[in-house]
This record gives sequence, structure tokens and C-alpha cells, in this order.
Amino acid sequence: MLKTKSAQYSSVGDRIFDVCNYCFMIFLVIITLYPFINMFALSFNDANDSIRGDIYFWPREWTLRNYEYVFNESNVFFATFISAARTIVGTIISVFCTAMLAYAISRPEYKLKKFVSITFIFTMYFSGGLIPGYLLIKELGMLNSFWVYIIPGIIGVFNMIVIRSFIEGLPEGIMESAKIDGAGDFTTFARIVLPLTVPALATVSLFVAVFQWNSWFDVFLYNSSRLDLSTLQYELMKVLSTSSTSTDGSAADAYANAQGNVTMVTPTSVRATMTIVASVPIIMVYPLLQKYFVKGMVIGGVKG
Amino acid sequence: MEKHTVQLTGSTSDDSRLRAYFKALSKQKMLMLMSLPFLAWVIVFKYVPLWGWTIAFQKYRLGRDIFDQAWTGLDNFKFLFQEEQFYLVLRNTLVMSSINLVLGFVTAIVLALLLNELRRIYFKRTVQTISYLPHFISWVVAANIVQTALAPEGIFNVLLLQFNIIDKPILWLGVGEYFWGILGVTEVWKNVGWNTIIYLAAITTIDPTQYEAAEIDGASRLQRMWHITLPGMKPVIVILLIMNLGHILESGFEPQYLLGNGMNVEYSENLDIFVLKYGIQMNNYGLATAAGMFKTVVSFIFLIVANNLAKRLGENRLY
Amino acid sequence: MRNKRWLQISLAVLTAAALLLAGCSSNNGEGGETNNKNNTNTSTATNDKTGEVSKDPVTFSYFAFGSNNDVLASETTIGKILQEQTGVDWKMEFVVGDPSTKAGVMIAGGEYPDVISPVGELAKLLDAEALIPLNDLIEQHGPNIKRVYGPYMDKITHEDGNIYILPFTANVGGYLTEPDAGSNIWIQRRVLKEFGYPKVKTLDQYFDLIEKYQAKYPTVDGKDTIGYATFAGEPGQFYTITNAPMHLAGYPNDGNVMVDLETHEAKLYQGTDYEKQWLQSLNEMYVKGLVDPESFTANGDQFMAKLTSGRVLGFSGYIWQIGNAINNLKTAGNDDLRYVSLPIVFDESITDAYMDPPSFVNNRGLGISVSAKDPVRIIQYWDNLLTDENQKLIQWGEEGVTYSVNEEGRFVMSEEQLANRNDNDFKRKYGWAYFDYEWPRYGNNSVYEDGNAHVPFSQPEVADVNYTDGDRTLLEAYGIDTFSGFFAKPVERPWYPAWSIEKPQGSPEDIFNQKAGDLQRKYYPKLVLASEGQFESVWAEYLEDFGKLDAAGFEAFMTAKVKDRVAGKW
Repeated sequence: MLKTKSAQYSSVGDRIFDVCNYCFMIFLVIITLYPFINMFALSFNDANDSIRGDIYFWPREWTLRNYEYVFNESNVFFATFISAARTIVGTIISVFCTAMLAYAISRPEYKLKKFVSITFIFTMYFSGGLIPGYLLIKELGMLNSFWVYIIPGIIGVFNMIVIRSFIEGLPEGIMESAKIDGAGDFTTFARIVLPLTVPALATVSLFVAVFQWNSWFDVFLYNSSRLDLSTLQYELMKVLSTSSTSTDGSAADAYANAQGNVTMVTPTSVRATMTIVASVPIIMVYPLLQKYFVKGMVIGGVKG
Repeated sequence: MEKHTVQLTGSTSDDSRLRAYFKALSKQKMLMLMSLPFLAWVIVFKYVPLWGWTIAFQKYRLGRDIFDQAWTGLDNFKFLFQEEQFYLVLRNTLVMSSINLVLGFVTAIVLALLLNELRRIYFKRTVQTISYLPHFISWVVAANIVQTALAPEGIFNVLLLQFNIIDKPILWLGVGEYFWGILGVTEVWKNVGWNTIIYLAAITTIDPTQYEAAEIDGASRLQRMWHITLPGMKPVIVILLIMNLGHILESGFEPQYLLGNGMNVEYSENLDIFVLKYGIQMNNYGLATAAGMFKTVVSFIFLIVANNLAKRLGENRLY
Repeated sequence: MRNKRWLQISLAVLTAAALLLAGCSSNNGEGGETNNKNNTNTSTATNDKTGEVSKDPVTFSYFAFGSNNDVLASETTIGKILQEQTGVDWKMEFVVGDPSTKAGVMIAGGEYPDVISPVGELAKLLDAEALIPLNDLIEQHGPNIKRVYGPYMDKITHEDGNIYILPFTANVGGYLTEPDAGSNIWIQRRVLKEFGYPKVKTLDQYFDLIEKYQAKYPTVDGKDTIGYATFAGEPGQFYTITNAPMHLAGYPNDGNVMVDLETHEAKLYQGTDYEKQWLQSLNEMYVKGLVDPESFTANGDQFMAKLTSGRVLGFSGYIWQIGNAINNLKTAGNDDLRYVSLPIVFDESITDAYMDPPSFVNNRGLGISVSAKDPVRIIQYWDNLLTDENQKLIQWGEEGVTYSVNEEGRFVMSEEQLANRNDNDFKRKYGWAYFDYEWPRYGNNSVYEDGNAHVPFSQPEVADVNYTDGDRTLLEAYGIDTFSGFFAKPVERPWYPAWSIEKPQGSPEDIFNQKAGDLQRKYYPKLVLASEGQFESVWAEYLEDFGKLDAAGFEAFMTAKVKDRVAGKW
């Protein structure tokens, strides 16, 4: 199938275009892959040696010491479990709720459509501030709980808009005919809209999953004293903050930092190791979701 | 008496309209059920904390009741608007976020178009996956890489020297005028792959028969990209554009802070850094809140203008 | 389990609804404080009645705004020993992320750990009345605390007459200067070696030497040598270059002022001839191609990489900024490429003041919070910690295990013991990492009655173990025993350090500080990197901008504070 297609396309202009396009893509791959190669090299290189700089593509003095340090200094394994839990639970709940809301406000006949939309959209552009936000969570009794990772993020307004615009892009007739068949709004949403907006849902799931996985500020604010609710990112932040010297610049802190300790880890090495440890699992999500990004899927679904 | 009648008729017509409205609404119980719980959620989580805006009018002291705070009227706003530096950082913020906005959109859209033209599916998926990797490194790491590349002996200078484009190394981060460009390119490098995802999703909604028809008509590659793919992405592009115009005063904080130095400070310092220095670091929550309110006002203006413009042009609207 | 969670959620939703109905009746999180204070008093009372130290096992919470790993104290050797003595264990937590934000939410929430080491967040916590006064507790339960902190009472007493924190710098038994003090201006050892270890005292001599060496050896391993570099590329490190005029003029690190020994006037050196002389020297060096312009753009990693490459002949930096690079060079083993810091000043007539004078840092310390369940037990624990015996434990460890005593009764460490004392993993396991600093303690310069230093690194015998052959050659060439021998003995400065003077946050002084710093950040690169003949005009421009700020007001504020300190009002 692919071959016959490419045979069809082969005019000279097309050939030139293809060559340029492939060259460009390879260039893009090189510059976007570099940071990870660099982090990989630094994370496997002796920290004390890394101070000398000039580590680019490959470690100079191999060591596993950075990884040992990161894994020993924190409860990384349990924290990974919490991270995975919040990512999975958070993504499922948030995507479902956001899609449901997006459906409701995409219905032209819905009388509260505009009111609800605006109420949500405006929230993208203001914030009451850190302290009021913290006090709210405290008043709701959500401090030190797992649900503080999920509930405050149930609806992503940006995601809601994305899904809505996909729903609005669906052919008019589909929902009409569902109505005629006697389907209620929820049935239409669940049976027709959800399957037809799979690419949008996959996109939004990726956004939410990455957000959930990378979050550490909510752990810092609300759950910092609950080790059993700590997440991978937060544990790694701890390791990093332990490894960095304070830059207060005061003589008092100087004492704590400068006793002539032999450097075993440096913030740079720890950060490189963290980057690898924390991002490799989440990076895998996109390739898994890519199969839902198939062209013509929606239309095919409608026709079928 | 007459007046009263007028009022009465007025209210009856209002009444009937209201009644019709509620009658229609009462038939939409399911839609209400699907949206109103979330409305309650948004009010609790986003609108209730807005009481915090009162802090902008106070010399806020932590841990004290709202009644025990010293009210200072508009002092925080006055400090903000009377500060000479404020206008410099405002300029920098606007320029940097405009550059980011334009570059960010154009590059992500172009990349989506080009990726869409790749026919080897696994190559395409590999490129997609790799191109979004820099999104996952922290700004500290990214800034470090940029600083290394732009150092006098860094790869960038080495290459330029090799090709005789320059005759001696340039201290790129030491020249203020270059900062905006460096930042723009850095942002693109870090986020273009990530930003492309949503457009790739949008492309999936395009009816493949359109391409087949175009092919039969003898349309070239570029023509197909221009007349089919791009219009297919347009609704999403317009919506994202309106949303991002509302964020015109959010030019980011970390890259400017990390790549900024004494030599480029007149170009790198933005509103967020200003607020950090005079608000957060000095525990002046009032000033920080005032700056936040200022941003919100500007956001709303941009948002409303952009949305109305889109309406006027017959494009998709945000609301 | 699940059901309970759901119950919580429904409750949360209900609460939310209630909140809504109440019409945003905001800010009700602060009720707890007063209650807590009452609790404190009652528990003090009950304990007073029994009159003896309880040893019931109890775990208190400890929170520090410094960086370290969270730990349960009893998991460390020292913590375990102290627990056996007192029955008290500590859940020790350290700040992750931005300390200021953490303090903000802690205060907003109104719930505190039992004890807090506020570091930079002290003013905020005091303003929020988060710490309890310790005066009565010390009076009743702290004989050792009184012994240690007695001489510093005026310094630890807050304006309102209360003591809120016990600082970490109360020196006991005299004042021992550290053997390996240093300055912040360094030279590569091969430069000194090349010219037969000359005496280098003035800035001109220092730069001359670098210039001569650079002329002789323009490249190292095929790469250009760098005459001089400094660490001014990161926003938080800019003080490296701005502090120099103060040191060169013969003053210790008092922040942005120099305080006259006689009149106690605090004078800014920004905008003075001292600053001009410093920048002009740098500019002259730059014009000769000897100053690395990357000094203003390089980040920490780049700067360290430069230092460890051996290409830099001289640089400025405090040990706590560049310790990693210095240690790296030491382990690399080539003594020629290592650096030594020198007592550089502007001219021969000036006595250097690089060695810290006896000082008392009163804004770093440990306090008890209003949420503390049993302040008496805490004070008793601290008091027990402040015995000679336990102070030796937290610095030296156990005799025969982590240190030994020789025939003369001096404390010594073998190479292995010293390596352990320096090894981060060992320090964690043993507990030094947690107990040797952020607790009520003897200051670093303390001396025991038997003449031993309180801190191992201040013990000349221990310092000596650390020296390499190269170190000894260098010291011999200059006829000194320790690196401190380079520097003049510190002079008594009763206000020292002026940098710890709290400027009320957001006050005119605070804003002056920020703006003056911004000007330096903007103009220093322009001045240093000015092309030939341009310096004066840029300097004039700088002075004009600086003149717009209220420097006199700031100096008056600082002078008043310094005089207060001299008069015993800290």
C-alpha cells in the first residue's frame, strides 16, 4: 500500500521536497535528542570528573554511583508507585470529566452554554494567589491526602476547549441522528462523541498524564510531611536540594558547605540522573498513544 | 400609574421570556447534570480564592486575619506604575511573548505539516517522539546546554568560525540585543515537538477523500498542504491563538532568569522577574498580587478583543 | 479504605458548598495559634510540678529551612545516643523547593513543627508570632543553655525583650581562629612557583604577576591561558565581584558597607573611589586581554569547568562557591594547578581583614514553635545537648571510634577517621550531618578547657593530616605553618557581621539594596569590558544613576544599627 502510493507521487518537485524534508527531520532529531544523550552521559559519568566539563555524548569516567545515590537517598520506588497512581487515576478522571463538560458546552441548544464556557475560560487568566489557594485546600480538609492530586485538577480548561473544538468539528448530522434514534445526551456523549474524538482524547490524555507525572509543587505545598504520598518528582527534588550547596553567601552557611568534603555528587550530576529516572517512564506514553493519531479515523468511524 | 403599567408590561414580557428560558432549560436536565457539578467545582477552586485579591490593597502580613491587615489603598499599584523599571520590563515581556507566540505557532504548524508529509510511518513516529523530548528536561538543564553551546568556545562559535561567518568568537549571551532571538530559538527548540502534538491530532480529522480528490485534480504537494491540511487545522489554530493572546504578559520566568546576566539584563528582565525581586523576595505579597491583577486585566482585554475579532472574521470563537 | 476516601470527598464537597453559601467568608485558618499558646503554658506548668526530667519516649518534629535529607534522628548513631539519654527522638525534615513559599504556607496554615530552624525566614516567622519566647524556659530548665548563651544574652534577645532562637555561633572557652582560613582572591600555585614564591600583597602586584606569567606561557595544553576570571554570571553570585572593593580596602565581609573601627560609621563603598579603583584595574587588565569576559555570562558549571581545566591563573570566589572545583583539583593531584588564596589589598599600608573577626550571627538559630506539644522536654533536650561531653560527640564523635586522644591529651584523627568525618554518607549514618550544625551548639571557634578545639577542622593536628606535599612546600616557602598564616589576625569588631542586620522587608532600605544591586549588575560588565578610554564616561554615567538613590539614608540606617550593636542592643 505504502509503496504504490510513493510510486504515484514521484514527480521531480516531490522528490526534492522529500529529500529536503527528510534532511530537515534528521537535523531536528539530532538537536532534540542531544539533551537526552547529554543527560545520559552526565548521569553515568563520575560526578567529581564532571566538574571538569566537556562531557557531551559519552561518559568519560563510567560510574553507577549517581544512580546509586539517587536511589539510596530517597524512597524512589514507592514514590514511583504514587506517581503512577496519580497519573493513571488523575488522567482517567480528568479526561472523562473534561470531555463530558466539553460535550455539554458544545451543544448549541444548551441554554447555559455561554455562561458555563465563560465562567471556565476566564479562570485561565487569573489566580487568587498561593496563600488563598492553600487555605482553601486546608479548609476542604484535603491536606495530606491523595485526592489533593486529583480533585483540584479535575477540569483542565485548555483541554476542555481542545475537546470542544474537536466535537464542534464533527459532522452535523451525527448527533442529530442519534437524537432521532432517541438517545439522551449522556448516551450520545458516551456512545458517539467519545469514540469519534479519540485523537483529541489521546492528545488531552497525554497533556494530563505529563502534567500529573511532572507535578511536585502540590506535593510540596500539601503533602510534604506524608512520605507515603510523596511522588517521584518530589523525591528527586529532595535529592537535588540535598546535593546542592546553599548560595545564601553568609558566613554561617559557609561552614556547613565548605569543610573540604570530597565531592561525590554534584547538583549537575544529580540533575542529569533525575532527568533520566523521571522522564524515561513518561516519555513512553506518547509512542503508545500514537496509534490513535491515525488520519481519517474520525471520518471512517462516522461512515462505519 | 402609567409608569407602573409600563413596568408591569415590561416585567411580564421579561417573565415570559424567563419562563420560556427555564422551560427550555428544564428539558436539558442531562446537559445540566453533565456541567453544573463542574461549575460548582470551578467556583470553589478558582473563584473562591479570589478573595486573595484583597491582598493587593494591603500591606499584607502573613498569618493575620483579614481584619488585622493594614489597608494601604492603591499604594501597591502606585509603586508598580511609578517604577521606571516597570515599563522596561513590560516592554521586554511584551516583546518576548510576542516573539514566542509567533515563532511558537509558525514552527509548530510547519512541523506538523512536514511530519504529515512523511510517508514512512515508523520514521514519522520516531521523529515525533524524539522531537518532543526536550519538553521533559527542566529549564535548568536546557539553559545549561544553551549556555554551553553559546560560550566563546562553544559549538555555535566553532561552527561559525569554521565557515568564516565570523572572525572571532562572539559572547552571545553578553550582547543584550541578541537575547530575544536566543530566547525565541531556545523556546522553539524546547517546545516545538510538544506544541505540534495538538496539530497532529487536528490533522486526523481531515477527510482523506479530500486528498484523493486533490490528487486527481493534479494538485502539487505544497498546494495540498496549503489548501487541505492547513484549512483542516484552522479551527484549532484560531482557538489556540485567541487563548494564547490572553497570555500575552506570560513570557515565562525560568529561561529569562537562568539565561539572564548583567550584560543582557536590560533585555532579559521581564515582569515575572520584577515581581520576584520586589514582591516575592521582599515578602511583599501585596505587590505581587497587584501585578497579578494587572496581568489579568491585560489578559481580559486581549482575550475579548481577539475573540471579537475572530467573530467579526467569521472564524471559530473561544466563547 | 476506599469507602473512607469517598466519604472524605463527599465531606469535602459539602464543605465546599458550605464555603460557597457563607459567601466567601474568607481567611479563617488562623484560629489555632492562640489556643496553642495556651496549651504551651499549661504543659509548662504540669512539668514544673513534677520537677524532674522525664525520659518517656517521645518524638518531636524538627523542620529546617536549610538543605539536608529527611531522617529520623534515632536512625543515626548520635541521635540514638542522645535518645538513650533523654528519651527524645526527632523526625527531622528539611525544606525542599523555595523556602520563602514554604514559610508562607506554613504560616498561613498556622500549624508548625515543634522546632524550627528558620534560616532566612526568621523575620517572617517572628512577625507571625510563630515562635514562643524561651526566656522562662531557659531560666527554669536550662543551666547549660545559660552557661553557653549567657555572655551573648544581649545579642540573642529580640527587641521586645524575648529570646526566640538559640543561634549557632556562641563561642565557648575562648576564640580559636581556624587554621585554614582563606580570602576570596586566588592565584594558581605554578605562578607563585615560577617567580620563586614572591610576596604578593597589593592588587597591582597580583595582576602584575599574572600578566608576567601569561606573557611567558600564553597557552596550556594548546589552549589559551586565562589571566583572571570571576564568578559573576549567575544572578545569585554577583556579590563575588561587588564585594571585592571592601576586602581590598581592608574590611571584612560586612555586606555592602564598610564600618569604621573608631567612629562606627557604616559607609557604602558603592560609588566610591575604592569601587572605581577595583573596576579600573579590572578594565586595564581587560584591555590587555587578561580578564575573561565570560566571567559575566558563565554559569556555575562553566566556571567550575574553567577552574578545573588549569587554564585560569587567578580568580575571585568564596570557598563556599567554588569548593567543588578546589577539591577536584586537590584529588587530581597536580599541586601546580591548584590555587591558593592570598591576602590581597589595594596598597601596602592596608592591613587585610580576610579572617573573620569573632562574630555572632544572631539571625540564624533554632526556635520552638507555638504548636510545640512539650516545650519543656525540648528545652531539656537542648540543655543536655550543650554539655561538653555531648558537644564533643556532635563534632568529634566517640573516643577510640571516630577520633583518638594522644599522650598529650590532644584530640587527633587518623587519615581514615578524617576521611569518615568528611564523607557525606558516613556523616549521614553517624549523624554529624544532622547534629553538627543546626542545633543549639558551641560556636565554631570554641575551645574546650583541655585546650582541644571544638571543631575538628580547627585543630591544627587535624588540619595537618589534610595537607599534601605540595601544601607543605608552599607553606614552607612562605615560612608559615598553616594557610591562616598568610592573613592578618582579625581585629575585634563588636558589630560584626553587618550583613546580618535585618532590613525590614519591603522597607526603603530593602528597596535601596535591590536597586543599588541592579545598578551594579548593569554597569559592572560595561565598566570592566569598556574599550580603551571609555571607562571614565561609563563611570560618570554609573555615578549619575547611583546618585538618584538615597545612599545617605541607607548609610544612616546602617550606622544607627551598627551603633546599636556596639552599645549592646542587637
